[in-house]
Formats: sequence, structure tokens, C-alpha cells
Amino acid sequence: MPPQICIDIKNLSKRYKNANYNSLDNINLSINTGDKFGVLGPNGAGKTTLISIICKILPSTSGSIHFGHKGNIKQQIGFVPQDYAFYPQLTPIQNFEYFGALYNLDKKTIKARTNNLLSVLGLEKVSSQKINTFSGGMKRRVNLGIGIIHQPTILLLDEPTVGVDVQSKHAIMKLLDELNQNGTTIIYTSHHLAEAEEFCNSIILIDHGKMIASDSIENLLIKHQSKDLQSLFIQLTGTEYRDV
Amino acid sequence: MYKFIISIKKEFLILLNDKVGLSLMFGLPIALVFLMTIIQDSAYKIINENSVEILISNQDKGTLGEKLIKLIEDSKAFDIETDNSLNKENTNSELLKRDKLIALYIPENFSKSMENKAELVSKKMLQDLGLSNNATTNNKQVNVGIIFFHDPVLQDNYANSIMSLIYTFLGSVEQTLMVEKVYNQMGIDNPKSLEKTILKNKIEIKKIVATTTHNVPNPNSTQHNIPAWTIFAMFFMVLSLGSNITQEKNSGSFTRLKTTPTHYSLILISKMLVYIIAALLQVVVIFSIGKLIFPLIGLPDLNLPSNIGAFIVIILLSSMAAVSYAVMIGSIANTPEQNNGIGSISIMIFAALGGIWVPLFALPDYMIFISNLSPMRWCLDGFYILFLSDGGFIDLIRAFISIILFIIACQLITFGKLKHEKLI
Repeated sequence: MPPQICIDIKNLSKRYKNANYNSLDNINLSINTGDKFGVLGPNGAGKTTLISIICKILPSTSGSIHFGHKGNIKQQIGFVPQDYAFYPQLTPIQNFEYFGALYNLDKKTIKARTNNLLSVLGLEKVSSQKINTFSGGMKRRVNLGIGIIHQPTILLLDEPTVGVDVQSKHAIMKLLDELNQNGTTIIYTSHHLAEAEEFCNSIILIDHGKMIASDSIENLLIKHQSKDLQSLFIQLTGTEYRDV
Repeated sequence: MYKFIISIKKEFLILLNDKVGLSLMFGLPIALVFLMTIIQDSAYKIINENSVEILISNQDKGTLGEKLIKLIEDSKAFDIETDNSLNKENTNSELLKRDKLIALYIPENFSKSMENKAELVSKKMLQDLGLSNNATTNNKQVNVGIIFFHDPVLQDNYANSIMSLIYTFLGSVEQTLMVEKVYNQMGIDNPKSLEKTILKNKIEIKKIVATTTHNVPNPNSTQHNIPAWTIFAMFFMVLSLGSNITQEKNSGSFTRLKTTPTHYSLILISKMLVYIIAALLQVVVIFSIGKLIFPLIGLPDLNLPSNIGAFIVIILLSSMAAVSYAVMIGSIANTPEQNNGIGSISIMIFAALGGIWVPLFALPDYMIFISNLSPMRWCLDGFYILFLSDGGFIDLIRAFISIILFIIACQLITFGKLKHEKLI
């Protein structure tokens, strides 16, 4: 049985207002249902822009995105941004309740999923504390929990493990694996190439808004005769800083 | 519906956590309403209730000086200190030293001068009426006037009012003296009955406060300050609500909100509803203070208007105007700092123009004209119509229309701005 296409991106470009270059330039990409898909690239490559367009946070300048799923796509997408995307004055329970309601979940479902998430993310003991008292790792776990409370079929994560300790990173990656095994397509960006190599089955490598490679990690390593993802990354993007 | 309820709950919890915002919304106006009412009440009492302290030096050798002082004393409008050791020169300095507002110096020949003047007039009058042929009237009169000193802090119109009052007493003395002289010249000994008739048959002036009905209390500092500072408190929510919006716009949570299948307008409506409830709570708190606490500390009681329906409508419209303004500023500003700067300065200007700090009648004409630009004035006009002239819905139409147009304008600007930034 051929893999089912989850997201099909054709000739996607994005130019920000007043910019004289494209942040994304003619991207063509297909992501299959059930993939663990990595969007990789140096700083400023266009990773967050691509994810934001998929999530409908940003409009594209040209090109199209087609989703394999029918119905309200916003209901099916879960998004975990790089910034903390919750209300730190509130508790994890209150945040889960709020965002769950915005995803049209009923009170009973929210309660059940909140209890489950608090348990899975190791936040049960602090569930009634305000998040602004939490450590970075705990905040990252809350950030992830909110993104998956509505059990999305597509989960987009923008550097979900940045700045967290090993224990929190382990918990987050374990949960993502479990979600994927239950059918969730995961699209994720990261600068942790070892983590990406271990987690993803396919990747896209972007630099200066252009797609420079896209395939399964295995195929890419063979094709470019690289020993690991980091070597491949340096080989294809070079060693120049991307400060500007 | 559940989504809407949870949105309201979230906004309510965020507001409860905003201790600074809450203290600005409730603590500051409560402090201001106490402070301003106490200050204005003192000023009001000085002008309206307290007797004016007056220093009198009576050098008159006759009886008319004493008679004038007695009339001044009987009026109960003055607190008199008499010191006849003062001369014309040092009365001025003693007024300031003794902390008086006014001093009167009655000169030595005051009675003589008055009597001469009365005699001259009475003779002339009898002559003109053909009742006397005595042609020996002395037209050369020495006019010895009273000297009126006043403290430089006393405003001209207030000093003139007091002078007019003293002129009235002087006129009364003159009138009596004149009658006496006429009677004497006609050989009638006792003119008292005519004097009494004149005094009893004075035309009275009836004082009525202009209102649309007849059940209105006299205006006082409480009737002005309670509505005025309530409106100020409502509009000062711009700091809390505007910051809430700008903070949310700049936070990661807003990015997430845009990915949910919920329109931002629902979130914005939830915010507005919570802050309208907060504004209504401000009304309850500040009006309760006026009604229950002010009388306990000697300040005038707050008298609520009789038209409760119109009162509720003006409260609702004022709170909606304040909330709409806060939402507009919050959507225009890019950062909480910008919001707080624009918000607080604009509110101060609106308050100054709108008659919140100083009643409008105290402003010059061109400022009264400019004050029409302040939404706080439209709201305050509405409250004044209810509190000071006991008006109803018909009298409030102009205020209602102005406030409603302001609400619509703020909402349209907010919508336009958020749409332009592709936030909704």
C-alpha cells in the first residue's frame, strides 16, 4: 500500500513586506502520513517561516499547500512554537482548559486529557501552581502539552527541546514517539542534529530559503556519502556563519 | 458557548493576577475620590457655609458706625473681630497678620457724613414737593467713605460680592436715616412705624436650583467627584486592558491562538466583557463609598438620581466607551510601554478637558469648546444630567449619541488595525 500524502507543498515562496529576497523560495515537498519529518537548516534558513505557513499563521506569497485530511485543518493541526505559548500567570490546568476549549473540546474531555497529560509530562505535583514559577524544562513540557491536548493528526514543533535538561528532553522525545506510533504525523525543527537523526525518518534541508535536500535520512547519507547528519549538514550548507 | 465561558474565565483569572492593574483600577481612583472630595468640600464650605472673617476698626464718633456693624453681625455671614485701636494705615497690615480675608475701616466722621447727606437729600425732597421753602441747603458735603481692605488671595468677584453685601447694609442705614430726617423736618417725632413698614415690605428673592424636576439635592463636592472619578477610573483601565492586549500580541500564546480554530474576535469580546464587569464593579465600589463612607467622615452624602433606568444605561455606555478606548489603544500600540504612555497621557488630557479635575464652568470659553472633544465630558454630562438636574432619557439623548458614536469609532479603528496587521 503506497504511503498516504499528509501535506503536499507545491512551489511555495514567501517574501516578507519590504524584503528584497525570498525567505522561502519555490519549495516543493511531500510529507507522508505517519512521518517523523525534520525541517533542518542553519539560522535564518526559513524553517520557522515554512512551519508558520503550514500552520496558517503566515500567508504564503505564492504556491500552494494541500492537506490529505479533510475537514477544518486548524482542528487537526497541533503547534508547539519555539517561544513559550501559554499564559504564565495561570496554572497548567487552567492553560490546558483554555486551549482545549479553543479547540472545541468539551469540559469532560478536557478534564480527562488534562489529567493524562499532567501524568505523562510529570507535572501532576505542580498542576495547580502558576507556570511563571516553573523551570525551563517544565515550561517546555507545558508548551508541548497544550499543543497536543486536542490530539492533532499533524503536530508541528519548532525546536521543542531547546534549552531543556536531559530528563525533560527525554520525556518530550518519548512522548513524541508515542504520539507518532498512534498515528500523528510529526514535523519538527531542531538544531540538535543528533536528536533529529535519531528521531526523524525523513528530512528537508533548507538554506537561504531554498530546499537543498529532501529524502529519508538513510538515503541522504548514502547519496552524499556522509557518516552522520551533522557531516551531511556541514557538507551541504558549509561552515559560513549565517549572522546576516 | 463553553469556549466563550472559558475565555471569560481565563481573562478574569489574568485580571486577578494583575495586582498592579487592579490597584490602578480600584486603589488609585478610591484614593483620588477621597482626596479630591475632601479638598473640594473644604473649598466649597469656605465659600458656601463658613462665615467670612472680618476685622473692623470703628473710629466713628456717632452711632451709625455701630448700627452698620450690628447689621453686618446680624447677617451671620461674617465672623467679626473689632479693634478700634487700628488706624487707617495699620488696618491693612493687621488684616494679613491676623489671617483675615477682609477689613473695614469706619472713619471718624462716618455718622456725621451720613447725617449731612440724609439731611441734604430730605431738604431737597421737601423743597421739590413744595412742603418746605427753606432755601438754605448746604450743597457742600464732606463725603467720608468706608475703606474696604481685602486679602490678595480673594478673587475679585468674591471681594465684589462682599462689598455689595456691605453696600446693602449701608443702604439700609441710609434709608432709615433718610426717613428719620424727612419726618423730623415735617415735625413728626416718631417715624418708627414707617421704618418697620419699609423693612417688612421688602420684595423677596426666591432662590431655586434649576432642575427638570423638584427632587434634586443641592450640588456639592460629592455629587461632582463620585461620578467624575468613577469615569476616570473606567478610562484608566487602558493601562491594564491595553497592556493585556499588547502583551498577548507580542507573546507566543498569540501565535498559538492564531493556529486554533477560534476567531480572535471571541477572545477580544471575552476581554471586553470582563473589563466591562470590572468597570461596573468600580461603579459599585466608588458609589458605595460616596453613599456609605462619606457621611461617616463628614463629607456630603451621595444622592442617587431618581431615574435608575437612565442611570444604569449611562453607566453601561460609559464603561463600554472606556473599554472600547482601551482595546483601541491596545491594538494600536506595539508594546505595553507604548500602550501605557499613550494611554495614560491621553486619559490625563481627556480628564483635564472633560471637567474631571476642574468643573467645566471654571474653564475659559475656548477650553469649554475644546472640552467637547473629550469622551469623558460626554460621560460626565450624562451623570450631571441625572445627578444635578434629575433629567431622564430625553435629556440624555445627546450624551447617549456622542458616547455610542465614540464606541463605534473605537471598535472600527480596532477592527481596522487588527485586520491590517492580519491578526484577525
